[in-house]
Amino acid sequence: MRRFGRWLAEHSIAVGSPLVLLGAREWASATGLLREAFFPRPSTIAVHLRQLGADGTLWGHLGATLVRIGWAFALAAVLGVGIGLAMGLWRGLREGLDPVFAVIYPIPSILFLPLVGFLVPPGEIAVVVTTAVTSFFLIAFTTTHGVRQIDRLVVEAATHYGARGWRLFTAVLLPGSLPSIFTGLRLGLGFALIVVVAVEIVSTSRGLGALLWLSWQILKVEDMYATFFVIALVGAVLYYGLAALQARLLPWVQDVADR
Amino acid sequence: MPPAPKVLVNEVSVTFESHRRSVLALDRISLQAQAGEFLCVVGPSGSGKSTLLRVLAGLLRQSAGEVRIEADHPGSPLTAMVFQEHALLPWRTVRDNVTFGLENRGVGRAEREARAREMLAMVGLARFAGHYPHQLSGGMKQRVGIARALANDPEVLLMDEPLAALDAQTRTIMQEELLRIWAALGKTVVYVTHSLEEALLLGDRIVLLSARPGRVSRIYPVDLGRPRGLEVRASPAYGALLETIWARLREEVVRAMAEDRGPDPDRASA
Repeated sequence: MRRFGRWLAEHSIAVGSPLVLLGAREWASATGLLREAFFPRPSTIAVHLRQLGADGTLWGHLGATLVRIGWAFALAAVLGVGIGLAMGLWRGLREGLDPVFAVIYPIPSILFLPLVGFLVPPGEIAVVVTTAVTSFFLIAFTTTHGVRQIDRLVVEAATHYGARGWRLFTAVLLPGSLPSIFTGLRLGLGFALIVVVAVEIVSTSRGLGALLWLSWQILKVEDMYATFFVIALVGAVLYYGLAALQARLLPWVQDVADR
Repeated sequence: MPPAPKVLVNEVSVTFESHRRSVLALDRISLQAQAGEFLCVVGPSGSGKSTLLRVLAGLLRQSAGEVRIEADHPGSPLTAMVFQEHALLPWRTVRDNVTFGLENRGVGRAEREARAREMLAMVGLARFAGHYPHQLSGGMKQRVGIARALANDPEVLLMDEPLAALDAQTRTIMQEELLRIWAALGKTVVYVTHSLEEALLLGDRIVLLSARPGRVSRIYPVDLGRPRGLEVRASPAYGALLETIWARLREEVVRAMAEDRGPDPDRASA
């Protein structure tokens, strides 16, 4: 409890700013500054959120979204880190793939949905693959950069002390790229959430995106905001969760606590 | 028959090739170091001091000439280098940095740990074995670099301006530490520095290199006795030797500066 108190004191701004905003919203809706039909009070939204949780609606949609993110992220991470490392190590591959990636990467991911539908069975698999696309590019980019930015002197010293081939890779090149890889994973996970919600809006009946869109269409505005809140919460939990994991796994990265 | 020198450098030249031009960095360098000798290499920047060390370390292949290091302990690496910017692996603790070379050579865990303990005690870092490099000061990092090199028990210890990046006080303390460690281990050392004072304090002999291309300008024996400490700087012999070598080094430095300023035909045409 004492520790929590100290943590709260240190992060009073980070904890306080959302609370102040919530209070302002409550006040604005209560006084009629914002029309309650479109901007219900946060307290009303909380009541609806509890209802969505109590009747089980929320859990089904949340579960569907999380499973999709999980698969998409795993797919993007494995391929992104693998191809990113290969691009970092081999110049030929890097020069060959860079322009291809540069062209594909900025395309809004949702546009891949019909394309992916031609390649894999439409439905869950198409949703997962589409969700993975942008994350894959982000992770591959940062991983490549991670290999490239390793201090050449450190590599030379490691070689001098007998690290060659596979040993050089596992003891030097891989750990040296891990901080960048983690940055890519955090960005990639965030993008997986953004894209999956968009895909769910256009193509599924289950998932947080679908719930949000349905609530909007039938004008259950409170439910829409409640879903909104859950999506934001999922994003924050994933982001800080991965940051905590990085601090745990890479204690030697000096500025991780400040990020 | 005199014993073979520990380090033999015979007519070694290094040429760096880049597009359309080649630069001669070392020009027929010849020198020797006897077993247990502390040999200092001094020269103006661009004289190829570090290049020579990289050739000795096997990090760079000479374009011509011969390098021979006498191996007395089978299984030991020929050289271990202490780098100027310490070049520690940031993701390894102090202990694991020290044992890195042993690990790569397949030395067993127990022996590695014992060796790390011994070397860290020698450089005064026994309590920091579990720390990461970023938690250490510059001087401490360089101590780890020295412990890492010594842990490999190399035939020859190579040091590339290991104290250049440190502040003056830390450098002075490290110089005394180096003298103590060298006296305790009796290693053959080839030590590159741009500081003549440092070379006079540490070295048995000083090899003075000329400005680019690096040639052996002269080799000076340092007859200032052993064990040597900072008080040697007050002796008349030290002052005389410093003046003699500096007069020569000064010429080389001025020449190097003039060359840097002078008209460069490549640059003029570009």
